[in-house]
Amino acid sequence: MQKLHPFIFALLLAGMLAPALALADDDEVDDAERLKVAAIEALISAPPQRALPIVTRVLQGDDSDEIKEKALFVLSQIETQEAQDLLVEVARSGSPELREEAVRMIGINGEPAAMASLADLYRAGDEDLRVAVLEAYLIADDADAVLAIAEAATTADEFESAVQTLGAMNASEQLRALRDKQGMSEALIEAYAVAGDVETLRELALDGSDPQQQADALHGLAVAGGSEANEIFMQVYRGAQDEELKEAALEAMLIADYDEGVLTLFQESQDPKEKRRLLETLVNMDSDAVWDIIDATLENGGA
Amino acid sequence: MNDEQLILYYYADGLSKTERRRIEAALAADPALQSRYDALRRELDGFGDASADAPAAPEHLVARWQAGIDRAAQLERQTERGPARVLHLASFGWGAAITGALALGIGIGVYLPSRNVPDVSVTPLPAIVEVAPSATTGDAFTRGLQAHFRESRENIGGLAVEDSEARRLLILHIVQQNRLFARAATENQSPELSRVLRAFEPILVRLADEDLAPEEAQRLQAQLLFELNVMLTKMNRPPSDRSESI
Repeated sequence: MQKLHPFIFALLLAGMLAPALALADDDEVDDAERLKVAAIEALISAPPQRALPIVTRVLQGDDSDEIKEKALFVLSQIETQEAQDLLVEVARSGSPELREEAVRMIGINGEPAAMASLADLYRAGDEDLRVAVLEAYLIADDADAVLAIAEAATTADEFESAVQTLGAMNASEQLRALRDKQGMSEALIEAYAVAGDVETLRELALDGSDPQQQADALHGLAVAGGSEANEIFMQVYRGAQDEELKEAALEAMLIADYDEGVLTLFQESQDPKEKRRLLETLVNMDSDAVWDIIDATLENGGA
Repeated sequence: MNDEQLILYYYADGLSKTERRRIEAALAADPALQSRYDALRRELDGFGDASADAPAAPEHLVARWQAGIDRAAQLERQTERGPARVLHLASFGWGAAITGALALGIGIGVYLPSRNVPDVSVTPLPAIVEVAPSATTGDAFTRGLQAHFRESRENIGGLAVEDSEARRLLILHIVQQNRLFARAATENQSPELSRVLRAFEPILVRLADEDLAPEEAQRLQAQLLFELNVMLTKMNRPPSDRSESI
């Protein structure tokens, strides 16, 4: 006797249960849904030519969006032109939730022609669909497509979303290209930090022409890390005339957990008010150096 | 030099030639650093090793993680200045970078791109790692990835919906592991797997949102569990069946 594929078995069961759904109580509906999920899951073991018609039927039928979303994932794993065309079709004309999920699946599938359809979907889509498209580009690691969106952005929010996505993709090259074309912004500095572009952040942190931009860059450097960052915090702190910039450098040292630097500044300082602020920072950092300072302060009146 | 730089050096990715030369020189000149790198390399070579049971993290490291979490929480309070943003992948990357790196990254040998991972040795989190050797898979990467999928499935299935902070921390742990495996998948010439791994992250990020409605959380959980099951089924197939299936 020929062995029955697990997916066929599950489908047969699902088919047997389906007519009873109309009369079933909630528990039975849940059971039937669970069985359908199991049946769709089993499709991954089927040959593509057998699985595709079943997935198509599910997507075009009356099942819940939850069931259809699962069918979409199986569809994303089928490497045929028909499967990719169906993904694009759902992304264009499904319910809002299904459209977003289909866009995500296009990213997972990664096939170039389907990926190319995302640009039109982005242009015509609402905010949620646009976020889904950006995520699909991230999934497919297509930073140039995100760069194109950032360059064509017509609002600050749209620009910021694209830039944040580039940061999450570590797309330093694309982020630098944006700086050349569109100038600097807080969103861009954050993205440099997330992408770990220490070189650009260093340049911005030492550029005294814009203290707010400097403060943002210090914050970014603290997150991005790297051995150079601590030296820059110290350099900016020592050279700052602006109290807010000093505070930004100190906060950066707190984020970077650079207590040695704060201790050095404490020891250098002759200003009681500044020393108190530095001591508070060391306490906040839970630095071991605090106890020596407290001892010295109580014995000698200063460290 | 922190572990993140050494991890990037290990994967021969994300470092300029100058940075690589600097690390090579540092490794040659500093036996302690070389020994730390050797330990890290063993860790990365063997993640997902079938015979490895994850040991509990040493107490002093747990204490440091906790201190890191406290600092990150304090910082987040300090930086809550502007209008709240909708939590999505990118803002998560920024906001969670600190918390994630401090609280979790150090424990799991993570790849967290260019963020400030504290400089401590890489030790697995005290998480359950059930790795059953598979007769159908050959390499450490595949076994490790299967273990990651199984562990993620177990963790996601048991997410504490009522405790948003615990949920958030657990999800951060999964996200960091996920990034590491996405990187490893790329290194192993498996772009399909990289894409699937990256696709989990937006869903995980939404699940970490403390304002998420319970029914939406359930829906996202169910979708992720489904996708993990499908991937496990796909990876567990005997090679003889692979040509006949999706």
